[in-house]
Amino acid sequence: MSTINLQEVFDASLDQPDISAASRSLRNEAMVSFNETGFPSRKHENWRYTDLKPIVSGEFDPSPQPINSQQEKKASQDIEKSILDSKALRLVFINGQLSTNNTFPNELNGLSISKKTESYKSIDVLQGKELFKDYPLAALNTAFSQRETLITLDEGIQITKPLHLIHINSGTEPRAIHPKIAIDIGTESELTIVQHFISSNPEPGWTNSVTLINQNKGSLLKLYRFQEYPHEQFHTELLKSRLGNNAELKLGYVDLGGKLVRNDVHIDLAEPGAACSIDGVFLAINGQHIDNHTLIEHSAPRTTSQESFRGIIGEHGRGVFKGKVVVHRDAQGADAQQSSDNLLLSEHGEIDAKPELEIYTDDVKCSHGTTVGELNLEQLFYLCSRGIDETTAKGLLTFAFANTILQRIEVPEVRKRAASSIAGELPDHQNWGGLL
Amino acid sequence: MNNTNLLQISDLHVEVEDRIILNGLNLDVAPGELHAIMGPNGSGKSTLAQVLAGRDKFEVTSGSIQFKDSDLLSLEPEERAREGLFLGFQYPVEIPGVNNAYLLKAALNAKRAVNGKQEVDAFEFMKLIKDKMELMQIPTDFLNRSVNEGFSGGEKKRNEILQMLMLEPQLAVLDETDSGLDVDALKVVATGINTLRSPERATILITHYQRLLELVVPDYVHVLYDGQIVKSGNKELAQTLDERGYDWVKIETEKK
Ligand SMILES: Nc1ncnc2c1ncn2[C@@H]1O[C@H](COP(=O)(O)OP(=O)(O)O)[C@@H](O)[C@H]1O
Ligand SMILES: [Mg+2]
Repeated sequence: MSTINLQEVFDASLDQPDISAASRSLRNEAMVSFNETGFPSRKHENWRYTDLKPIVSGEFDPSPQPINSQQEKKASQDIEKSILDSKALRLVFINGQLSTNNTFPNELNGLSISKKTESYKSIDVLQGKELFKDYPLAALNTAFSQRETLITLDEGIQITKPLHLIHINSGTEPRAIHPKIAIDIGTESELTIVQHFISSNPEPGWTNSVTLINQNKGSLLKLYRFQEYPHEQFHTELLKSRLGNNAELKLGYVDLGGKLVRNDVHIDLAEPGAACSIDGVFLAINGQHIDNHTLIEHSAPRTTSQESFRGIIGEHGRGVFKGKVVVHRDAQGADAQQSSDNLLLSEHGEIDAKPELEIYTDDVKCSHGTTVGELNLEQLFYLCSRGIDETTAKGLLTFAFANTILQRIEVPEVRKRAASSIAGELPDHQNWGGLL
Repeated sequence: MNNTNLLQISDLHVEVEDRIILNGLNLDVAPGELHAIMGPNGSGKSTLAQVLAGRDKFEVTSGSIQFKDSDLLSLEPEERAREGLFLGFQYPVEIPGVNNAYLLKAALNAKRAVNGKQEVDAFEFMKLIKDKMELMQIPTDFLNRSVNEGFSGGEKKRNEILQMLMLEPQLAVLDETDSGLDVDALKVVATGINTLRSPERATILITHYQRLLELVVPDYVHVLYDGQIVKSGNKELAQTLDERGYDWVKIETEKK
């Protein structure tokens, strides 16, 4: 068995003429930082419940691969399955590389999509030493991501159709894929993004994604992210975002597949009146391990955050949730609400959910709560009294538990798809996907 | 045993948390009949209804219930429903996240599976439900709303009747489906109940008020008190109860 030497692969990947000086220096910095920290270990407080060993020992090859035509063709079939409307605005990434053939359209009024080669100030302040130290996996992503995709929306533009970012993991060898996306939303502009992670790959693979977002004054971004891998995939990601004056970010996280998943979210409500919401749903059944770690910083007055995560934990499933909220000294009038509710379907499942509040000012409204529960017997009886058998009724209620969060997704086709996927993923007899 | 009965309750004793609620209750219901059960608060009316539907928190300590050809007490709640029993809940349960359409489709399909019929498709479903929703004055967006969530009291009750109309039970047990309704809503509910009356079907109406019984005329009226049916009569009994209350029945019972 060959052992992959990350440094060698890294050096080889830098040995190309078309890489700009700015990008070269950032990637070098990232690699140096990663070499110092290495993979996060369980000794670190934020990694207590999640062991990256299967990824570290998985021999996933991070060397970039050009897309071949077969993959492009295969991708268009996968896309059919992932979104309903063939006219949907979309960027397609095959193994982390932008597939220009499957992208539609290239340019839209005020919206531009490009490869980030030079430094781009509003994004670059989000990354650097500190980020690499706090998130070693993000450092690794930066070191190995070849073509960072930059999505910018000019000032004062509202785009109503959602932009789909479809990440397809396809290939035969175990690969490490490091997609990196940067988003800059102009003042008073609005955009909706749907980020899909899918794979038709039965082989294990690892996707390690980074999304960096800067939102200018009064902008609104809705970002719904779906992960629907088969159960052999590994997924880690960081979403980092900075919000300006009265900007608003609505995040939706849906994790259905994957063997080991770790999502990090770091939001800085940097200027007065900035607001964010995170609504998350995950399914950890059949030995899946799903970990959501969020950090929301209230750095300015009158900033608000609302977070609700719901986990369904089944047979040998493991859920982890840590939601940290920091209210800084300047954040008078901040409002932070957080809840984590979990449904344990099996005694062989496990959930570790922990809210954490750090407050450095008096004038705040904060609440948080964590529940771990079972199905409601009154509701169960009501359904059975209508002739629905107990297992189906349980499936319906389990689905409902997730669906109350899914109902907040503001793109109807995405909401419907998420609902039917969840219904279809429920264990055995509880599966009633055909009903929707 | 009288084989012409649809439902035959004999000497039913029920306890909850070691408290005796029903204490030797008897009731026979034949096809085509409508029985009203009245009685003071806390006399055990809802307990009876829930026991019929199979709620397991109520413990049947003795007695028997025959429904059609089955020993009702040996059936699971869903089996009872598929056999043709329907309970209209006094307090319909809110189920956030389950759309009315999901519930109705799942319920219809469960019944169809028993009869070896195909699952209902979207077109057929809409065809089935459209007129019934109009009859119950339920707006069309209702199908995409969560079951009973945020419904007014009246909407919940009309929803119970809509479910009944969709499932076409042979025996409907309606627990205070009239309480909390204004005059117009009461008429709507009464129309729903009357729509389903037929020589093959029977209804047990649990109610406090005479006003529903003017719109849905009962064949028999019973008074449930202290865990038993202490008095039975025809629709005039309901009128008397409405005028005089329950005290005279209580006194009469205690004399015995
Ligand atoms: N879960 C329960 N635990 C204890 N007592 C109960 C429970 N449910 C009902 N009861 C009692 O049983 C009696 C009958 O209640 P119920 O059947 O609801 O009466 P009704 O419908 O006639 O008003 C009441 O005294 C009530 O307090
Ligand atoms: Mg009652």
